[in-house]
Amino acid sequence: MKNPVAIVGVGQTKYRRKHSDKNTEELVRDAAMAALMDADIGLDQIGLIIGGVAPDSLAGISNIDMSSIARPGIPYFRVNTGGATGSSALLAGLSWIAAGRAKAVLIVAVERMGHATSAPIVFNSIFDPIYEKDISMSTISMVALRATMLMQNYGFSQEHWAQLAARNSATSMKNETLENPRFFTADQVKDSGVLAWPIHRLEACPTSEGACAVVLAHESIVGDRNAAWIHAARGLSDTYAIGDRFHRPEGSLVNLLTLDLSAKAAYKDAGITDPLGQLDLVEMQAPFASSEVMAYMALGLCKPEDSIAFTERAIENRASIAVQPSGGPQAANPVSATALIRITEAALQIRGKAGERQLDGIRRTISTGQGGATQFSTAVILGADKP
Amino acid sequence: MDNQQSEPLTIAGNWNFDYRYFAGDTATRFFKELKDNRRIMGTKNPTSGTIMVPARSFSDADYVPTTEWVEVGPGGKLEVFSIIGAKFPGLPDPPFAIGYVTLDGADTAVLNYVSGIDLSDLDAAAEVLLKQPRVKAIFKDMREGRITDFHFEVVDDAE
Repeated sequence: MKNPVAIVGVGQTKYRRKHSDKNTEELVRDAAMAALMDADIGLDQIGLIIGGVAPDSLAGISNIDMSSIARPGIPYFRVNTGGATGSSALLAGLSWIAAGRAKAVLIVAVERMGHATSAPIVFNSIFDPIYEKDISMSTISMVALRATMLMQNYGFSQEHWAQLAARNSATSMKNETLENPRFFTADQVKDSGVLAWPIHRLEACPTSEGACAVVLAHESIVGDRNAAWIHAARGLSDTYAIGDRFHRPEGSLVNLLTLDLSAKAAYKDAGITDPLGQLDLVEMQAPFASSEVMAYMALGLCKPEDSIAFTERAIENRASIAVQPSGGPQAANPVSATALIRITEAALQIRGKAGERQLDGIRRTISTGQGGATQFSTAVILGADKP
Repeated sequence: MDNQQSEPLTIAGNWNFDYRYFAGDTATRFFKELKDNRRIMGTKNPTSGTIMVPARSFSDADYVPTTEWVEVGPGGKLEVFSIIGAKFPGLPDPPFAIGYVTLDGADTAVLNYVSGIDLSDLDAAAEVLLKQPRVKAIFKDMREGRITDFHFEVVDDAE
């Protein structure tokens, strides 16, 4: 790869329902300073800062960029692609380095949704105000619609959703970035009440706040730093209109076309022909069990006809790839930061710095980002070896 | 820096901004057809032949302007659904069902409320809706030129 780039530092606050002891600028600073310290790079060496923040209305601050890191002489811009914000910001940073405009880029994504005391109303406002807003859509019902399609097309059951949610909750117990990881069983999920059939209350990710920061470095300044190299980073966008995605020959609503195509392009860049054989770990921006199942297929981890069998192996931790070792976004889903956290988790595993959740032999990983009802998808492949 | 240990302060805030969303000429005609003529209209992409419902002035798949208005429905197929089972602030009281429907003659699906199904047992109702039943658009008597001027009702197979 020409001009390889590496992640040389990451920093995360704890993820929890609310950080009432910190204002937004303080959250950003905590993550940014941790990442810079991890990278052993000073703020003065940073050539670009990118802020990742999804809708302002979740934080209730019209100009959330006030929490950006203000440094005269360092350019700044903000990225917002919903749940893919964090990974989109990383892609933007890579482009700046590839263009020769910076040697080191600091990316900070922050989620402040704990401010919102009526978050469902805010989430309703992301839908089309002309044709859809009045049909009471929510992010949860939007997910539920696809879950019912998976059930009707591939034979998934409510049991699968409950077991996968329980599996992710058990896995998240080792993730020290979670302030209060939730442990529950599949039966508890099924007994937790229907939010939007087939989604039950415990399957839905909790309100999550926190910040995540990543330092990207051009190979010329990586030196002997502990690096996770970018092997591929691709992102694509699609129509906003969910209703336009049912009858397309390229794939239906549950085929996650943008993720599928992003992954294929990333695999090509990274020379991957057998994802299951060549990748050691997958971290998906999948805030619900059904989103995770759709991602398995889009990433080529299984064929649609084998999706139930693969899901059952994932539930039993028998898949031949490490699946969501952090517990994934079902454990904590700070919207603006969540896709950057997926990349950060993969980088921590490659760099051997994942604490109690560290796995052995993680050499190559894939992380996804999904935003705006999969209007935006990203696929980022990291590796221990310089490409 | 030592901070005095005390309960972190919370400052109350409220966003209550009013907006008026400009629907544009194409959606305006779509809504007028609902209100005045009880008709659901799509627009045709001349390149692909695709009929888009609800009506759009252009296809964002290829950025081609649509050229022709076509009536679709009122019958159609329920593609996907959800039954909202919990109260969310600002949304209607549960339970209620929503779904995307491909109306007869359309190539895209449109979102609306779905009725005509007993929602007292959510799992039983879901079993019926998972079969992707036929539905038809039912128009309100008092229409105001909004997407809620109609909703979908599950059609009894015996009909």
